[in-house]
Amino acid sequence: MKTMLIGKLTFPGGTHPPQRKDLTADSPIQPGPVVKKLAVMLSQHTGAPCRPTVKPGSIVQPGQLIGDSDAFISAPVHSPIDGRVKEVALQSHPVLGRSPAVIIEPNPNIPPKRPRPKSQDLFRDAAELLDKYSPEQICLAVRKAGIVGMGGAGFPTRVKIEPNPRLPKHTMIVNGCECEPYITCDYRIMLEWTEQIIAGIILAKKASGCERVFVAIEDNKPQAIEAVRVALKNWPDTGYIHLVPVKTKYPQGSERQLIKAVLNRNVPTGGIPPMIGVIVLNVATCAAIAEAVILSLPLTHRVLTVTGEAVAEPGNYYVTIGTPVGELIEFCGGVTQKSAKVVLGGPMMGIAVADLETPITKTTGAVTVLTKHQIGKAKFRGRQTPCIRCGRCLQACPEHLNPTKIAHAVKNNRLDIAQDYFLSACNECGCCSYVCPAKIELTGYIKTGKIFLARQKKKMPE
Amino acid sequence: MMASYIIIADITTLWHSAWPAAVTMLALASAFALALLIASEKLRVTVDPKIDQIHKALPNLDCGACGFPGCSQYAKAVLNDTNLLGKCSPGGPKTAQAIAQILSLQISESGPVRRPIVHCRAHTDDKTYYCEYQGIESCTAANALPNAQACKFGCLGYGDCVLACKFDALHIIDGLAIVDYSKCTGCATCVKACPRNLIEMVPFAHENMLTVACSNKEIGKVTRQMCAVGCIACKLCTKQSDLFAIEDNLARLDYVNYTPSEQTETAMQKCPTGVILHRGPSAPVPRPAKKPEPAKA
Repeated sequence: MKTMLIGKLTFPGGTHPPQRKDLTADSPIQPGPVVKKLAVMLSQHTGAPCRPTVKPGSIVQPGQLIGDSDAFISAPVHSPIDGRVKEVALQSHPVLGRSPAVIIEPNPNIPPKRPRPKSQDLFRDAAELLDKYSPEQICLAVRKAGIVGMGGAGFPTRVKIEPNPRLPKHTMIVNGCECEPYITCDYRIMLEWTEQIIAGIILAKKASGCERVFVAIEDNKPQAIEAVRVALKNWPDTGYIHLVPVKTKYPQGSERQLIKAVLNRNVPTGGIPPMIGVIVLNVATCAAIAEAVILSLPLTHRVLTVTGEAVAEPGNYYVTIGTPVGELIEFCGGVTQKSAKVVLGGPMMGIAVADLETPITKTTGAVTVLTKHQIGKAKFRGRQTPCIRCGRCLQACPEHLNPTKIAHAVKNNRLDIAQDYFLSACNECGCCSYVCPAKIELTGYIKTGKIFLARQKKKMPE
Repeated sequence: MMASYIIIADITTLWHSAWPAAVTMLALASAFALALLIASEKLRVTVDPKIDQIHKALPNLDCGACGFPGCSQYAKAVLNDTNLLGKCSPGGPKTAQAIAQILSLQISESGPVRRPIVHCRAHTDDKTYYCEYQGIESCTAANALPNAQACKFGCLGYGDCVLACKFDALHIIDGLAIVDYSKCTGCATCVKACPRNLIEMVPFAHENMLTVACSNKEIGKVTRQMCAVGCIACKLCTKQSDLFAIEDNLARLDYVNYTPSEQTETAMQKCPTGVILHRGPSAPVPRPAKKPEPAKA
């Protein structure tokens, strides 16, 4: 199969923020820090939060279930280490504010070990064994392992891949775009864990009943494209997996934009990709599926990029889920004089945290520490000027929305108008705020509007 | 000129040719008039004149405090269900009395008016901040972040309640929402606007009400680190008066049964953080907060 390295496929709209991936792109995945205290959040996914299944004082083993829920759209959480449950307490959550978490202290009798990724030989050897897993077995293993979409949204993967007679799926897109600036964790996974990803793709394809698979990688990662191409060539019977390089543009890694680019199909507004028979899985999720099915291991660790100009030793680390952000930054050389803002995720979509006790969750792809200088440049408050109706946000919006109309409607508390302009269709990618010459925080207003809307519907506890 | 002469000269001829049209038009007009007359009698919608009277007696502010979209809807509703009588808070007892007269009802003396109190007294200097909030100036947006300010319960001071108030009765003064009781009509719009549920409607039986101006439910030690004027649940007030109780590490005053007495005054004096204070149109300036202890960042 001939593969071009230049991606031609793309979607309308979007922006080109500086990539800044060279900070960590060449840093291999290293073992993360040894932790003194873990806080495993009980809600790390979209859907019903888990109830704790352990009590304060109980002893937990690595991989033991510590939170579960009966709801269909949910994913259980597991203890990553050998230790004792100290308490179930409220912790700062990057998205949900204060949320319950299981606090685990490591067992003092066991010498501390840094978390290490699994050897790739395990997956290479298991290539012939993949046929023996039935789709039901795979779905059950994925559910048991608590795998959620690791690209950021955290939608439970079992719900995605399980065949649904009402919404039959025919195409699976594996998302290796990683369009967000700074982040390189998916890139490193594609380079180093290629076999594991392909095993995961084959398993997910089998479970979901899809006929064809596209692996979409942005063309600013030629090495990753090459690595996946070589690995696919060496793997038997992978004719249905097509490798498609896509144009480098933000937000190429967003689900709907990726479908538009690869298949040239539009997901209906307010709809989900299975409505047009497509599922999108992140490369990290595929790797987790392989680990869960072949090695029966729950999702307790993930690869994460610690980056930003204000970190002493930026790099990609294999980190225990539940590690406080502060400890992770300390491990990477600590905060420097220049550092001003810690963002969980990339600079475009990430959420700034003030509490360094905030734990890493299954969906945290990066910790970006920005400098005072960068913050000063991007600071909105006080520098905002009136909207001059230039229409740049309309050109940039990948969802074809009118961000300035929505933002003004929200500002004046007119949710009815905001909804007429499809407030809920916004994917919060931040392109409009990025291009706005008047420095209006459009995405911020749209996000606030969504909170107002949720409160109006009485879904969110006040 | 010639043409007009001809028409005037021929006006009799014109009449002879036009009279059937004139008669037809007249007949049609009378037929329509008759139809409209019959329709207006047969299909008449009887509107109770009382609705109009009640509507005129209402303040016509369309504030929505009664739970209806506007005053006209409330006027209709109150005619059908007299239990809704006292719902118009901007109008107060006077309006209730007027509506009762229209409906020829006797109402007993209504209870005290309800006014909002803000359960926080921390100004910017009293609060601890772990970070500088750079987002948009809205409490709802700031509340979505876990640490816009150290205290998760107290007033954020970005003025969602000020925007909601239609009577200019709420102002952010140095990072805290302060109610102007001379303008407040008690419509309770601010209660719904506050994302932290700090504002509570309280029966103002006296001109100035004693309030516990704190909502912090953390334990005293944590509260002290976050705020110079937070309730530390020391229980000193409960020893003075039975009206005070401690729930969830927070002092709570029984506003319904509150009457000013020596005990409550002593409780106010003894409160170590000055959380217990008077709120009302002529409330004295609360005593200044003690110097905050150095907070752990």
